[in-house]
Formats: sequence, C-alpha cells, structure tokens
Amino acid sequence: MKEKLNALLQEGREKILAAKNETELQDIKAAILGKQGGLTALMKEVPKLDVSLRPEMGKAVNQAKAQLTELIEQHRNDLKLKASQIDADFDISVPGYLPSAGGLHPITQMCYDLNDAFRSMGFEIYEEDDITSELYGFDNLNFPPNHPARESMDTYWLSGHDKGECWDKLCLRPHLTGGSVRYMQTHKPPYRFVYPGRVYRNETTDARHERAFFQYEALIVDKDFTFASGKVMIQSILSKVFGREVPVRMRAGFFPFVEPGFEIDMGCLVCGGKGCSVCKQVGWIEIMPGGTPHPNVLRAAGLDPDEYTGFYVNIGLDRLVMMRYGVDDVRLFHSADLRFLKQFH
Amino acid sequence: MKVSLNWVKDYVKLPDDMDLKRLSYDLTMSTVEVEDATDLSENFQNMVVGVVQQVQQHPNADKLKVCKTDIGGEVKDIVCGGTNLRDGMKVAVALPGAHCRWHGEGEPVEIKESKLRGVASYGMICASSEIGLFDLFPFEEEATILDLSAFDAPAGTPLADALDLNDIILEIDNKSMTNRPDLWGHYGIAREIAALYDLPMNPLPHFDRNVENTAGLTITVEDSERCPRMTGTQIDGLSVKPAPYWMQSRIFKVGMRPINALVDITNYVMLATGQPSHAYDSDHIAGHIIVRRAGEGEKLQLLNGKDLPLSNDDLVIADDAGVVGLAGVMGGAKDSILPTTNKVILEVANFQAAGIRRTALRYDNRTEASARYEKAIDPERCDQALDLSMALFAELYPEMKVTGFVDCYPHKLQRAEIDVSLNWLERRLGKRIPNEDIAKKMGELGYDLTFDGDNMHVVVPTWRSTGDVSIKADIMEEVARMYGYENFQAAPITTSFDGAINQLDKDLERRIKEYLAIRCGMQEIFTYPWMTDQYVSAILQDTAGILSLSTPPSPDESLIRSSLLPNLCKAVVKNERFFTEFSIFECAQVFRDADYTTPYDSREKLPSQRKNIAGAFAGDSKNVTDLFRRAKGVIEMMPRYTHMEGFTFRQEEKPVWADDVVWLNICLGDKRIGNLALLNKKASMACGIKNLSVMLFELDVVSLVPFRSRTNSFTHLAEYPMTDYDVSLLFDSETQWADMQRILSGIHNELFHGAAFVDEYHGKQIPAGKKSVTIRLTIGSTEKTLTSAEIEACAASAVKKLVKNLGAELRGK
Repeated sequence: MKEKLNALLQEGREKILAAKNETELQDIKAAILGKQGGLTALMKEVPKLDVSLRPEMGKAVNQAKAQLTELIEQHRNDLKLKASQIDADFDISVPGYLPSAGGLHPITQMCYDLNDAFRSMGFEIYEEDDITSELYGFDNLNFPPNHPARESMDTYWLSGHDKGECWDKLCLRPHLTGGSVRYMQTHKPPYRFVYPGRVYRNETTDARHERAFFQYEALIVDKDFTFASGKVMIQSILSKVFGREVPVRMRAGFFPFVEPGFEIDMGCLVCGGKGCSVCKQVGWIEIMPGGTPHPNVLRAAGLDPDEYTGFYVNIGLDRLVMMRYGVDDVRLFHSADLRFLKQFH
Repeated sequence: MKVSLNWVKDYVKLPDDMDLKRLSYDLTMSTVEVEDATDLSENFQNMVVGVVQQVQQHPNADKLKVCKTDIGGEVKDIVCGGTNLRDGMKVAVALPGAHCRWHGEGEPVEIKESKLRGVASYGMICASSEIGLFDLFPFEEEATILDLSAFDAPAGTPLADALDLNDIILEIDNKSMTNRPDLWGHYGIAREIAALYDLPMNPLPHFDRNVENTAGLTITVEDSERCPRMTGTQIDGLSVKPAPYWMQSRIFKVGMRPINALVDITNYVMLATGQPSHAYDSDHIAGHIIVRRAGEGEKLQLLNGKDLPLSNDDLVIADDAGVVGLAGVMGGAKDSILPTTNKVILEVANFQAAGIRRTALRYDNRTEASARYEKAIDPERCDQALDLSMALFAELYPEMKVTGFVDCYPHKLQRAEIDVSLNWLERRLGKRIPNEDIAKKMGELGYDLTFDGDNMHVVVPTWRSTGDVSIKADIMEEVARMYGYENFQAAPITTSFDGAINQLDKDLERRIKEYLAIRCGMQEIFTYPWMTDQYVSAILQDTAGILSLSTPPSPDESLIRSSLLPNLCKAVVKNERFFTEFSIFECAQVFRDADYTTPYDSREKLPSQRKNIAGAFAGDSKNVTDLFRRAKGVIEMMPRYTHMEGFTFRQEEKPVWADDVVWLNICLGDKRIGNLALLNKKASMACGIKNLSVMLFELDVVSLVPFRSRTNSFTHLAEYPMTDYDVSLLFDSETQWADMQRILSGIHNELFHGAAFVDEYHGKQIPAGKKSVTIRLTIGSTEKTLTSAEIEACAASAVKKLVKNLGAELRGK
C-alpha cells in the first residue's frame, strides 16, 4: 500500500505540474481526489488494514491529499498569472491608433532646419515684406537700368504703382536681396543674418519653374572676410542639414549684386559624385548662387566697400526640398494638396 | 552655345594630349559652365565610305536594288531602296553595329546583317537624314541616298574622317555667359583657354582698309546713341553658290544650317568672333544707307517672312526708299541675299544692347545676332569681324573686288582703367599672389598692367570694357578665377559673442505653427498671394482697398490677398474631393491699398503689409457643434501652449462670410485681432464646397504678444483627495455656458475648486425650451479628507446659486 501511495503521489505531482490550463487541472484533480479518484480509493482501503498499520497509513494518505491539493492550488495560481489578458484569437498585426496627423509644410521644415543650423552659428533670423519698390528690388542692387528682369515679363508690378520713379514703382519682390539692404540700413555692422522668404517671378510654370518660390538668403558682412571662408560656412550648413559631409565647390558665376559671383554646387547625394541622372552625370548639383556683395550694394546699405566685405548665398529652398525627397514637380509646393503634403509628416 | 574644339584650335594651339574632362572642368570652374562635351565621331562609328560597283534590281521587290559595294578591301551586297543609286557612286555605308535612324525618324537603331526579301544585306546605304546629316546634305525627294562622289576619300575610309566630323563639341550654358559678350564666339573661348593654360594665340587675318570708294557708298548714323559704329563694305564680283565644304561643316557642327556662301560667310564670322554682320544685295539698296529710328506706321517684311508694323523705338537700317533691315535683329526680305545677287554691301556694325533687346522681344524675334548684341558687344570687335570677312570673301571669291568702304564710328570706345591696391587685393583674397603671376595671366586675357608701389593700374581690354569689368572687385574676380577658386585656403570664420540671439516674434510664430501642426493635427499649406475672383466674391464680397497686379498670372487672379481665407477655401474645395474630414492652416502676408508708410528710404511709400495666420476645419455638416468646439479649442489653447498673452472671445462685428449664430471675434484686450466662425451656407455654395461644413479662423500675427519667458507658476499637489462631482441641471435654452461660468466663478467656498462643462443635451426627455447641462464640480479640502456629507453640502450650495440666478432645475445626479 505504501508503494501504491508513493507511486500515486509521484504521478499526481507530475500530472499537476504538466497541466496547461484550468480545465486540465480540474480533470486531474477529479482523477486523484474526486469520488472515483485514485487517492480516494486508497483512503477507502485504510480501514481494511491491520489496525496496527491504520494510524500510520491514515496519516500518510491524508498528508498526500493535503500535498496534492496545495500543489493544485499553487499551480492554478501560477496558471492564472501567466494567462494572457486578451482573447486567444487576438490579431497582433492589427495597426495601432495613429496620433493626430498634422504637419508643417516640407519647405517650412527645411527652413527651420536651416534656421537651427544658422542660429547655432550665431546668425539672426530676419524677415521682410513681400511688396517692395523698384528702388530696393533693383536699383540698390546694382541692376543696370535696362536689365531685363525689371520688365513686366519677369516681375509682378502692382497696378497703379507701375510707373514713375524707381521708388514709386511697387512689385512683389523678385528676390530677397533688396530686403537685406533694408536690414543693413537699419543695423550696425558686422552683420550675420539669414533671411528666408517667398519671391515672385512672372513666368510660365512647368515642373521646374514656379511663379512663387522660396529663397533663403544668408549674409555675413565684416571687415576682411575672404570668399574662401564663405565656402566653410556653406559646407557646415549643408552638412548639418543633410546629416553628412557634403562636398561643395564654388565656380565662376554672374549675378548683378555680387562681385565676384559664384555658382555653388554640392556633390550629388544620390550617386555620391559618380554621376547619375539626377546630376546629369556630372556628380555636382547647382544649389545656390553666392559671392561677395557688390560694392554698390554695400554703398546702398551705407557702408564703405573698401572697409567692409562679406559673403552672401541665396539658397533655393524649393530645390533643396526637391533634392531631399526626390520631388519632381515644383508646382506641388503651392498645390495645397493634402495627398502630397501628408507625405512629409 | 556649341563650340567646336577643332575650330578653337585655329586660334590657340592646344596640346595633342589635351584631357577633355580637364578642359571642361577648368572652363566650368573659371569661366563658363560646360554642360556637355561630345565626341561627334561617336555618332559615325562603323560607318565608312563605300563605292557602289554595280546596282542590280532586287529579284523580289520592285522598289529595292541590290548594290555590290566596295567597303574597303571587300565587296558586299547591300540592299537599298535609294532612287538615285548608280554605278560608281560614293555612298555612306552603315556597317553592322552602326546606329541609324530609319528614314530619319525615331531613335537610332543598331544595323545588323540581315536578309531583305530573301536577299542578304551587309549593312545599309544611308540617306543623310538617317545619319543626322540632313542639315549638311539636304535633299528634297524621298529615298535620296547621300552622294559622296565629290569627296576625295577611298572606299573604306571611316565616314567621320571623310566628312571632317572628328571633332569635340562643347555645349556651353548660355546663362553662364550672359555677362560675357566677349565669349559668344570661338575666338573669345579660345582666349580663355589660352589664358588658362598659358598657350599662345594665333592672330586673325588683317584687311587693308585703304579702299577707293568707287561705288560711292555713303552711310549716315542718325542715332549714334543706339548705333555707336557702322561700317559698310561694298564687294563686287560675287555670286550665289554653296560655300566650301569645310565652312559648311563647321557651321553645321555648331548647330546652324549652311545656306549659301554669302550668308555662310556672315554666319561663320559671327560664330568665330561673336560679331554679327549682314550682307545686303547692293542692287536693291537705293542711294544712302541711313541708321535711324523707324517712323510710326513704317513697315518691314523680314527675311523670315514676318511682316512687322514698326515702332519708333526700333532702330532700322534704311536707304532712300525705306527700311531695309531691323538693326541687329534681322534683315529685310527684299534687300538681303537673293539668288541673283552679285554684289553686296556688308554691314558690320555695333548697336546698343538694350534697344536691340526691346526690339527683338517686341516682335518675339530673337535671333543669333540679337542674342549677341543684347550682351553689349564692344564696337572695336567690328574690326576683327571685318578682317575675317574680307579674308573669307577673298578665299571664296578670288575674283571679287572691294569697291567701297565706309566706317562711321561716332562713339569710340574707351578702355576702362582701374586702380587696385595690392594690399586690398591680398586682404580680400586671403593670399598674396606675386605681381608677375598676376601680370602674366591678366596679360593673356588682354589686360595691360602697371605696378607702382601698392598700386596696380589696370587697363581693361576693349572687349571687357562695355560694363563687364569696371571696378576693382571685377579685377579681384579675374585674378581669383584665373588663379583658381579651389586654390584658396578657406579661413575659419571668427565669432564674436555679443549676447544670445533672442527673437521673440520669430520664436512665437514658429511655436504657433508647430502647435497647430503637431498638437492640433492641422496641415500647413502654402497658396499664392493672388486670389481667384470667385473666392474673393464668395468670402470677402467687397474688393475696395485690395491691391492688384498689373500683369496677373491669369485674368481672374489679379487681386492680391487682403485675407488668407479665400485661398484657404479654395484649398478646402480642392481637398474635399479626396478627404471627408481635414484641417489646414496657412501663415502668410496680407496686403491693403492703405496705411502707406515710409519705413526706409524717405522717397519710398509702402502699403499696409501684415502677417496673418488662418485655418480651416472641414468636417461633417451633421455635426457642426463638434466642428465648432474643435476649432474653438484650438484657438482657446493657443496662447497657453505658445506662450503669449491670452485671447477673449466677443461678438461685436460679424464677418460677412460667417454663419448668423456661429461666430466670434477674437480679442486681445480691447483690440479685435481676428475671427473664428462657421462659413455660412451662401459663401460655402459660392465657393463650390459640396458637402462639408467649414469652421474658419484668421488672426493678425503682428498683434500677438509673446511672453518674454514662461509665466505660469507651480501649484502644490493636493494632499487630500479632490472629488469630481457631476450634476445635471435643466436650464432655459437661451442660457449660455458663459452665464453659468460667471455664476460659478463667483462662488467663494474654500472647498469649491472650480467647475467644468461636461456636455449638454436636448431631446425627448427634456421639456421644450429647456436643455440639460452636465457640470463637473471639483470639491476638496486642503486640510482633510471630506466626508460625503460635506461634499454633498458643497455641491448643493453651488447648485443653489445656479437655481437662484439662472432658474436651473436639478435633474438628478
């Protein structure tokens, strides 16, 4: 009988611990401790034993019962704590609830990235009004009197303000540089500021041309600043914005308000400079004009060009954003089309 | 502009091992952007001169022939449909592997050995159009094979060699040389290359000007401002005939079409020197040549057939009978080269740039000539062009005779002179470049330099003296670019610490945009500053005081925005097609034809320019209350989350576009700074909004007052529990939450810590004219945990106030 009991105890323990859920456990409990259970059957045999053996065996059987009962309870608790809080057919692949889906325009995002980069280098952020006069749009910037850009095919003149002296004629600014002169006229040198804004050209639109687009001007004016330092500035900024080293080169270029003027290229990030369709196989992408402010511009700002010099760049924000995301149609930026804008959250 | 490297080699001796990539790169870095460099001969690979020995009829096709063709060393059968094939004819053969355009159309395809109607054909005998040479060898009848019999090349000669097409063509970005009139010809480019690599230049030929004017040629320049120089040369003993092949091929290779020897000479000279010229048939010139302005009403038929009614602003070349040419743009049809021409008057002249540009644009008739004049060519260049022209006339017409020459040069060009301090140059360049080095490079570019102590006296060559180089910064640029921009060491940028940058207004604007986009889930959009009339009349209704464009992008887009709302509504209409619920905002300037100020130059008056921020919430029209509360919440929380002075809402002046009930003025102190309202049905329909309801807001950003720093202060955490106690009360429908709030905020009970709106309910269980409002009262003590009796008592006193002041009835807890 003793052996029987030990075997039962051993077998019961193993079964209980192997039970995977409540139902299994219940079945095991019935099989051992139930009315027809193995232990119950043994217990019924105790009175049939020799009287001298009865107390010892009775005690042993009761102990076994208590042990197994406790083990069942314990395992039931363990199973409860281990069990998942959700239905067994729960689909773990259902998508999460999305947080509210708003966003800044991709051009604003790029502008803020640049603002952060330039501010970290001690630049102030400047803004000016969209409507300006011919005096600030052209004359102060060394545009010759008959420069083609002044004509209506390139500039949006305001009606009722499109005749007379250059200070009488008003237009939507064709570029930002005129505003830079306003800044210089009202601040003391040395200057170090950036000037983001929208500019307007009266031209036919296509995937690469827009009537309204964004520029980002940066200007340093100081004594004895060489154009080679300007390259350092551009390199630092582009590397910060694009998150990696960006090679930069400056080559001969012409713009009325700088002398010398440069076309500034950045190494094509798509092919790493090896040549691809994005960079037309040259490995470089024209990204901005720049140069030393023309002495006439400095004079218009009330500075002595023999004393002061500087460095200016004008970043085409639309172009930069197009590069960043591979956007192939500049007109999308003013489309207000949420299907486009929601891609940049 | 296309530049032929072989042509450039006429003027400067390039080393045979010239690295083409290097040349393109150096020109790009220092002078002009070379967009492309193409080896022309690549287009003619696997093409040879063939001699057709025998033309036989194709056995299976009426229109085809089988040509036994010597392709150099071997004779092959080639099937061909040419109509002009004959025995002994020299032809261009595209061998297997060559690329041709079938019948001159489509993309080039590779030629393969194949069978045509059962007969094997080894390659193709080509028409000029099939190998891209139509402009050089034009033909009229279809299926005309290119006849090369006149060429002195044996069978098997590579076609590119036979036709002088072994050349490199540089494609230069015109935009990169708008300021360099001297570069618009091969000679100018050659000079830059010579200076870059220190190579000697070959001189152009010289023409002896001592000519007896037997023809009695006379020229009068009436407008010397617009025509600083005019030369006329009369040449007899000419005829109209094709130019020699070398000249034709050069003209062709740089993208122009050969016409006849007389016209080709003028084009060749222009392509070589950058100086346009024009040849008139002197039989058709009546008496004097006069350079003058056109009279109003005068007319001219151009060479290209266009009939122009001329303007008084146009400069013309005229004779006693009338206008013969549009100066600097194009000659007239009547007096230019005709098939019968045997004497010409050659015009080599200089015209003022701006006038030429205006005339060319006026008639939408920009030409190779006008494009060059527009850049301001120097009048001295006429001499170069004359010299080269006369050399070419003499070469092409050995029997020709110059019978008259007149040079009217009322405005002789002065070479610009500039003094540059060498110390200044060193400071600006960040480097001292030895005087000899500067003198050498600048000398190669045509500058004359003399040094005296710190001073460098620079005399600018004539071809750079038309405004291009005029100040010392220009000289610095010349020195720097010839030295090589890449060869300057970049100096680190020094910083001075004048205090941190603190720009409250810029920061506030950014916080507002980020608040709307990120916290409120709105999408920022950009729209144009001009508005479409439809939306202006729908939203603003009145156009008084709105500025407009004199040349608008389209006739219904002339008004400049005084509010952001019309464009915002247009954007709603656009997006309604794809979305049933969305919210958008824009931050941009708005303008008014009012409040003119003079913030800078005292002569300048600028109109009112403010900056607004506006938003639209578009959503289901069945739940306007919800839409309203979402929009209102965004405005209510804006000051708190963006750290500025708070707003109040009032109803003082209803915007014209607003719903009769759902509108609020947004105020800052006593000042109205914006509106928040539901777009009314009429405006919504006029905009073309189909289903959605739209809540709009617009705020004047300039009026907002940012906090200098964060202002809210810390509140101690409650030590004892605070209880939220909801009560539902019946009120008259007209009673506003604002009234309840006013009453509740008047409660002075230290256990009462405020009340919040939970919801309101109208419906069947509520008597007519009433509404049920659930209010959440916050009750607690700072000293102990309250008993439920104490909480009940506090709530009851609040309810009692509402009952007493607003006639509320308790509906149940």
